[in-house]
Amino acid sequence: MITINGILKSYNKNVVVDIPSLECQAGELIGLVGNNGAGKTTLFRLLLDLVRADKGQILSKQHNVAGTEEWKQYTAAYLDEGFLIHYLTPEEYFYFIGKLHRLSKADVDEFLQGFEAFFDGSILKSGKLIRDLSKGNQFKVGIASSLLQKPEVLILDEPFANLDPSSQMRLVRMLKDLSAQNKMTVLVSSHDLNHITDVCHRILLMEKGRIIKDIDTTADTLQELEAYFSV
Amino acid sequence: MIFTLLSHQWKSFWRGRGVGKSLAMQIFIGFLFLYLLACCLALGIELGFFLQKLYPAQDTIRIYCGLILYYFAIDLVLRFLFQELPVLAVQPYLALNIRRGQLVTFLNVRSLFHFLNLVPLFLFEPFVFATIVPVYGGMAAAAFALSILFLTAFDHFGMLYVLRKAYLNSRWLVGFTGAIALFAGLDYFHLFSFSALSALLFIKMLHVPWLMIVPLVLFLLAYFNNRRFLFRNLYVEELSKKTGKTHSTEYAWLQSRGLMGELLALDIRLILRNKRPRSVAVMSAIFLFYGLIFYRPQYLHPMKTGILLFVGLFMTGLFVINYGRFTFAWQSNSFDGLLTSNLPIREYIREKLLLFTVAATTAFFLVAAYGLIDWRILPIQGAAYLYNIGVNSILTVWFATFSYKGVDLSKNQAFNYQGGGGATNFIYTMVVMLAPFVVFLPLMLLGYAWAGIVAVGALGLVGLLSRNWWVDLLTKQFYKRKYLILEGFREK
Repeated sequence: MITINGILKSYNKNVVVDIPSLECQAGELIGLVGNNGAGKTTLFRLLLDLVRADKGQILSKQHNVAGTEEWKQYTAAYLDEGFLIHYLTPEEYFYFIGKLHRLSKADVDEFLQGFEAFFDGSILKSGKLIRDLSKGNQFKVGIASSLLQKPEVLILDEPFANLDPSSQMRLVRMLKDLSAQNKMTVLVSSHDLNHITDVCHRILLMEKGRIIKDIDTTADTLQELEAYFSV
Repeated sequence: MIFTLLSHQWKSFWRGRGVGKSLAMQIFIGFLFLYLLACCLALGIELGFFLQKLYPAQDTIRIYCGLILYYFAIDLVLRFLFQELPVLAVQPYLALNIRRGQLVTFLNVRSLFHFLNLVPLFLFEPFVFATIVPVYGGMAAAAFALSILFLTAFDHFGMLYVLRKAYLNSRWLVGFTGAIALFAGLDYFHLFSFSALSALLFIKMLHVPWLMIVPLVLFLLAYFNNRRFLFRNLYVEELSKKTGKTHSTEYAWLQSRGLMGELLALDIRLILRNKRPRSVAVMSAIFLFYGLIFYRPQYLHPMKTGILLFVGLFMTGLFVINYGRFTFAWQSNSFDGLLTSNLPIREYIREKLLLFTVAATTAFFLVAAYGLIDWRILPIQGAAYLYNIGVNSILTVWFATFSYKGVDLSKNQAFNYQGGGGATNFIYTMVVMLAPFVVFLPLMLLGYAWAGIVAVGALGLVGLLSRNWWVDLLTKQFYKRKYLILEGFREK
């Protein structure tokens, strides 16, 4: 599904991402862990052609991500509030995203019904613009809008960080279900080792821009990761 | 303590986004400030001589005094549109060990640093020294100068209070607009002459300098009223946000017209729901009245086509140029998301051009009313309109691809240097406006003024007909700049 070939990115002579080769198959649930500054968000930005790589290329379904737009039709992402249109109400935003993917209002409404528990009544019909929602709620809007697009590739940057515990568990369950049913390739980054080892089949450990471990999750993986991060 | 807080504000200005990252930029901005103030100063000095030339038979000072009330009336309206209490400036200090009284004083003093407070200083005071001192003597002149200052301060604090109340209760809004409209009407229809009243009041003051007590008292009343209000209501959420629920708006007709309609609806919401784009739009609407100033006999009968062309370009194209300068930057907050979503760049750019066409067309239809004054105005405005949608819309989007600074939608525009800010905006506007004159001027000087008008219009038409080609060009240009733009917008 996604192939990374010799990707290199530096800022001010500091190497931020340096990945010679990586392959992600369709339907894989991949987790990215690493300390701050390891390059996880920059890698996501490279995957979405938001940042120009110094060297190398990223292929999505064999087409270079930089310079083509077809991958946007089946890729959805939520990295930070820069992905929301903050002067819209949540409903307007969902309808807009839906429109871009040729979903009618009725389709969007149907989809949002399944999210009632996730939203917990504070997002839809709240009379607020997205910029007036709390951070956690904004995140929920972002995650919901990316799932609304029924993508084949989903990229989420630290989704568990801003969610309350029950929403975190709901998200874990949603990701597992979607990946199993729809063969959706998911890339998630998180600082929460518990959730990551629970959700993901494959974990990439990044340090200073390089992938130093590429693990298929087993029962021991959590211990392995904790050992790496322990002080 | 208050000086410390003010010094923080000083630092925050110079360290703001888009201001003076480099020393060169800071010096440039400093020069710009000085230049503008010098202009006001020059205007103030010249005003005396100017009035003398205009009305040689009458007493200059009398006429000058007549204008003062007019100025303050315009001042009030401008304040209503542009002034605000810098409440966020005080937010970090609220939980610290600083006395409430000090914070309130800080807020009041901080709010005084607004260009509307500088203007009277440079507009009126020079005249006082130049003209009034020799005639009425030092005492009277001093009283006059001080009373101007006090009136300005009274306007300032009074308006802060009115704005605050207007936020909470829209009856104040209605009342204020109604009062202004009433007075404007009275004066326009010569039922009540403000200039006579103004002249009367101020001449009296020149004879009896102690009357300056009146503005002083007004100012003190307004100041302490404001102070008391703030003292009791120093809660950031009460002072800054407008309460009230927002409803999802539906632009059903627009949104059913496919992707273009959907994106247009998005842009309309952006303009309506955010302070800065809204003020740009309002400004463009206000300048539609420019015609009233220029469509006068002195320009129409010898048919000074050049000036009329400029006016036409200005009125139909102000939105295109001012809004278009930040075409992408308006959405800098959501740019990552927009470019990741299933939105083809070509369509995005097409929609921006469509937005400008819509705005210019609306302006064109509105200013067509000026055709009633003189039918020859219509073809000039028509040519200007065509030029604006055919050429300027494309030019501005081109320039916008070089703008890498994001725009904070919630801050107001006047003297806010984000993304270039008020003064550079003005310069840019002038440059773009004067471009068509490269074509027009030679023809006019040769005596073929009307041919010049047709040429300008034809240029616009050509641009319009070849639009698809330009869209492709702009898309390519956008791709070249895309990463730089993204990076620039990401900086907060």
